[in-house]
Amino acid sequence: MSQDAAHHAPTSTGIDHKKLIMWLFLASDCMFFGTLISTHLLYRKLYPTGFTDAEGHQQFVQKLFNIELTSFSTFILLMSSFLMALAVSAMHKGELKSFRRNVLGVIFFGLIFLGCQVYEFTHFYHQGLTIQNSVLGSTFYVLTGTHGTHVAIGILWLVLMYFYSFTGKLGGHVGALDVEVAGLYWHFVDIVWIIIFTAVYLVEYLGPSGIWGDGLPVLAK
Amino acid sequence: MSDAVIDQKTLAIETERYHHFITLALWLAAITGVEIVLIYLPLAPAMVLGVLALLSAIKFFAVILWFMHLIYDARLLFWLFFAGLALAFATFAAMIALFSTGRIDTKWFA
Repeated sequence: MSQDAAHHAPTSTGIDHKKLIMWLFLASDCMFFGTLISTHLLYRKLYPTGFTDAEGHQQFVQKLFNIELTSFSTFILLMSSFLMALAVSAMHKGELKSFRRNVLGVIFFGLIFLGCQVYEFTHFYHQGLTIQNSVLGSTFYVLTGTHGTHVAIGILWLVLMYFYSFTGKLGGHVGALDVEVAGLYWHFVDIVWIIIFTAVYLVEYLGPSGIWGDGLPVLAK
Repeated sequence: MSDAVIDQKTLAIETERYHHFITLALWLAAITGVEIVLIYLPLAPAMVLGVLALLSAIKFFAVILWFMHLIYDARLLFWLFFAGLALAFATFAAMIALFSTGRIDTKWFA
């Protein structure tokens, strides 16, 4: 048994139930996001032409995306994950003030990430990409929107945990475990974005017309 | 462990992890920087795609192993998560294979 497992109350698996259930949930969420990412990539392969805007002009994804903004939000989310790890560590050490400071940082970075996503969605919408007018719009908004919803839920969870810490009930081993479980969720949101950043954004910049070829739909070839 | 008193062993472990977390955060930021530079280099797209996939996998596993404590925790948790990951990847591979036949009836997508 590892060092962490040794701190838990006795269970048949040797792992605290809260943590075990969270890992099971994350495994199922992995399949959920796996399906969404697969769907997006498949439809990008089948329909590489991007989308048609309201004026009937063909638009290419490479010109629509703002890789600088997405890179910035990726960096922000990675750093929020780092602060979350520090918050969990602080709780294990019983340093409540340090925990609060780090959690506030995570919440702040999470809000910046969401702000970037709202800006991106608004920009794309004004460029003509909607959830209804193309396959790209449908898969892109559903995938990144689902991820954004996960981020929003994570922020809400951490805000509640932050205020709960002032009641004096968030402490000791049980409190540290609760924070660790919330941290697992937050890190998962981060790793999903690591995949989305590469599979959805970066691949669009490979070669002059992106990884999806010369702009002709595969089905038409 | 008592709720009020944190033992010295836990303190020592967490202090050691603190330094690991800082190092890892720096590496993650650096890898993300390399990824962004890579897409602008005049290299073969297939090669860049391979490197990007590898770097993403490194970031992915670095976060789950250290930030999510899988490296310190019970092995069962790793395999539970890995099962979900394997199923997700298998779904992706199956769908790619399914749609790579070149004999797709387009009327289904109209």
